[in-house]
Amino acid sequence: MPEHRQSFITKYIFSTDHKRIAQQYLFFGIFFLLWGGLQAMLLRWQIAYPETEVPIVGKLLFPENNGILTPDTYNQVLTMHGTVMIFWAVTPLLTGAFANFVVPLQIGAADMAFPVLNMISFWTFFFSGVVLLLSHYGPGGSAAAGWTSYPPLSTPVGGIPGWGQALWCLSLVLMGTAVIMGAINYITTVIRLRAPGMTYMRMPLTVWGIWLSSILNAIFVPIIAAGLIFLLLDNVLGTQFFVAGGKATVKGGDPLLYQHVFWLFGHPEVYILILPVWGLVSDLLSTFSRKPAFGYRVTVLCMGVITVLSALVWGHHMYVAGMSPLLGKSFMFLTLLISLPTSIFFLNWLGTMWKGSLRFDAPMLFAMSVVFVFGLGGLTGLYMGVITSDMYLHDSMFLVGHFHYTLAASVLMGSFAGMYYWFPKMFGRQMDPFWGKAHFWITFLALNYVFFNMLGVGYAGQHRRLFDPGAYDFIKPLMPMNRQISTAAFILGAAQGIFILNFVIALLRGPKAARNPWESATLEWTVDYPIPHGNFAAQPVVKCGPHEYSNPKIKGKDWASQTEDIG
Amino acid sequence: MSRGLKIPGILFLLLAGFSVHAHASIWGMPFPEDISTNGHLIDDVIRYIDKVLVIFFGAVAAAIIYFIIRYRSRPGHQAVYETGNKKVYVIATILLGMTVFFSIDAVIEHMSFRDLNGVFWNFPQGKNVLKIEVMPQQFAWNIRYAGTDGEFATQDDIVAPLSQMHVPVDTPVLLQLSAFDVVHAFYVPYLRIKQDVVPGMITTFWFQAKKTGKFEIACSALCGNGHYKMRGDLIVESKEDFQKWLDAQAAQASSPDDVWADSGPSTGGVPKDWGWKWQARI
Repeated sequence: MPEHRQSFITKYIFSTDHKRIAQQYLFFGIFFLLWGGLQAMLLRWQIAYPETEVPIVGKLLFPENNGILTPDTYNQVLTMHGTVMIFWAVTPLLTGAFANFVVPLQIGAADMAFPVLNMISFWTFFFSGVVLLLSHYGPGGSAAAGWTSYPPLSTPVGGIPGWGQALWCLSLVLMGTAVIMGAINYITTVIRLRAPGMTYMRMPLTVWGIWLSSILNAIFVPIIAAGLIFLLLDNVLGTQFFVAGGKATVKGGDPLLYQHVFWLFGHPEVYILILPVWGLVSDLLSTFSRKPAFGYRVTVLCMGVITVLSALVWGHHMYVAGMSPLLGKSFMFLTLLISLPTSIFFLNWLGTMWKGSLRFDAPMLFAMSVVFVFGLGGLTGLYMGVITSDMYLHDSMFLVGHFHYTLAASVLMGSFAGMYYWFPKMFGRQMDPFWGKAHFWITFLALNYVFFNMLGVGYAGQHRRLFDPGAYDFIKPLMPMNRQISTAAFILGAAQGIFILNFVIALLRGPKAARNPWESATLEWTVDYPIPHGNFAAQPVVKCGPHEYSNPKIKGKDWASQTEDIG
Repeated sequence: MSRGLKIPGILFLLLAGFSVHAHASIWGMPFPEDISTNGHLIDDVIRYIDKVLVIFFGAVAAAIIYFIIRYRSRPGHQAVYETGNKKVYVIATILLGMTVFFSIDAVIEHMSFRDLNGVFWNFPQGKNVLKIEVMPQQFAWNIRYAGTDGEFATQDDIVAPLSQMHVPVDTPVLLQLSAFDVVHAFYVPYLRIKQDVVPGMITTFWFQAKKTGKFEIACSALCGNGHYKMRGDLIVESKEDFQKWLDAQAAQASSPDDVWADSGPSTGGVPKDWGWKWQARI
């Protein structure tokens, strides 16, 4: 594509360049990651030291109450923590920043299939974030019915006043619209714009993960959007789609219907977030082990099987919700089937490292830690997937620990791996390797301390979303451990300062990065920074798979780019 | 210590930390006391999964640590080109899948189905079964007994003081629950039981306590600002004491001074006649 002039606005703000949009998503995601993280700190402070002034930020955030959280602000914070982290932090990082940056470059395309749609998608996402943030300032504060927002609590009969819930629905519908636009774009780009020679079975696993996750997004986000529009109507027009019981004024509403709709989307959402991470981790383990990804075809097959299964297991969130027993058993059977492809994933990850030559750069450390933390996250899923153990552990801190191991630990560590890995190509500079590793070790140890012991207190019976857990006698003996968890959480939060400083300093005056600092084989490393609008000077032609490391046929180096013919 | 060995060293320390934790239970915390005749079934399946987790996660962690030491990049060390597509690896993959299916999925599914069919979803019938209706509201538990006629939603129903559930020991107790306003969840950690309570529908479960005493009932589903203090008391007493208590309640049942639960003008109170005809098993 020829050089063309761009004004400041078309270049930096309303850009249609996928690389610029990726950067916008990255900053957007990191901002919300910090916002959601701050909320996590508030929650941990309240759980450990109930009804005392929150240090440092308390007076700033809750001046009307001397910096002390009240039950309603606590419920708002826990609701917004979950919502922000899932939809506005890790979603833009994975299916926004990485997907935008990586998909066209790794498949050898000039840009996304629909560049203008891509821009609209980001600005819709941005606007949804503004609506969500503004909901804090409306009368009555933000939504406070949990990130799942089960009705009737999330409707006017729930006794939570204010606009928060309506704005929450609205912002999520907007966010969903942005995600659907993005998903359509990724699906089309992968199908239509692969470079010559880039067959499906030569695509990097990151692209596979993002592609499958986009298919799930395109199918299931419309479902939750529909459900949330009904919830919005319940909130603003006085309909009662999801209201029943003594508080209902008309007959016919069904609270369980919302739960079905929510989890019909909500369970695939878990895989929407984890599939890109699995792909990314598989690629990174291969690159930094200097070995091909073990059992590439089986890995792709497992991803496909999981994509299908993820759509069939939503009922396991509702074992104790009053669902038909027969349904519960079917959901349990299907849920446990997921253990098969997942265990094969682990075999292939370990197989990739086996007999490799492991380089412990920051992206590799984060990628390896995903294998570790997802091991715990996946296996603790067994407790939640079995009906009888779920009767005891459902809605407990054990559940909180479990999904933080899968979402917070695995997805976040995977996101960090991606950020450290692609930073040189995204910004042309190198982050400091020492502080990258320091960030890794503090994060890894603190994060495990936090989530492992959440599992522990849940095992001992503590349930979740309690403003003051000490209100229950059976939780009182667990309070010392709750305080330890909080201390570790504060260390975890503070350690992210290392990352932010490293990121900002590298951005401003980091050393210039080489074209291919990690000696990676995929196509994005064949172009120099700054990558021009249109990416490749000449159409790349792909001649081999994405993981040609240590192939004895390659002479002089231990890797071959996908454009090299190794015979 | 070389740079390459520091990382495995720290990982070993971490694993050692986990095994110290493992002393009490693998999660470092014990279960609450089990006061029900069937809670051990739930503990058993959980303990089985504990073992599965230790073995499979232990294998993964051990492999990672071994690989970090054995295959760390160093001068003179070369990676072996291995794509993992040979027949032998495909067979290994299938074997792993079968191992996982038969040692994890099949076993815990069998245990769980057996306990659900035999116990938890096999509701007790007969004269000795105590039936109770529960209607939670923000933020308390309304509890109703059938009275002398054995029928619910009649004049002689006995309504217990707010959030007080008395049950006799060694007697099956069958509960039907329906929420007044929002979704609540009836949770007694000592019974290993949790059941969501949904407005507009009736959910059912049963338990049998084997120990007398006073135990906490918790609401485990976020139900509003007072969720954290939506406590109730489960009072398990001898059959004689329970009958005495029930008779005393019956004497007061028709008192005109009945104070009904009212959580304030914002939510309104539960109407006086909240009980429903006992639902036959669906």
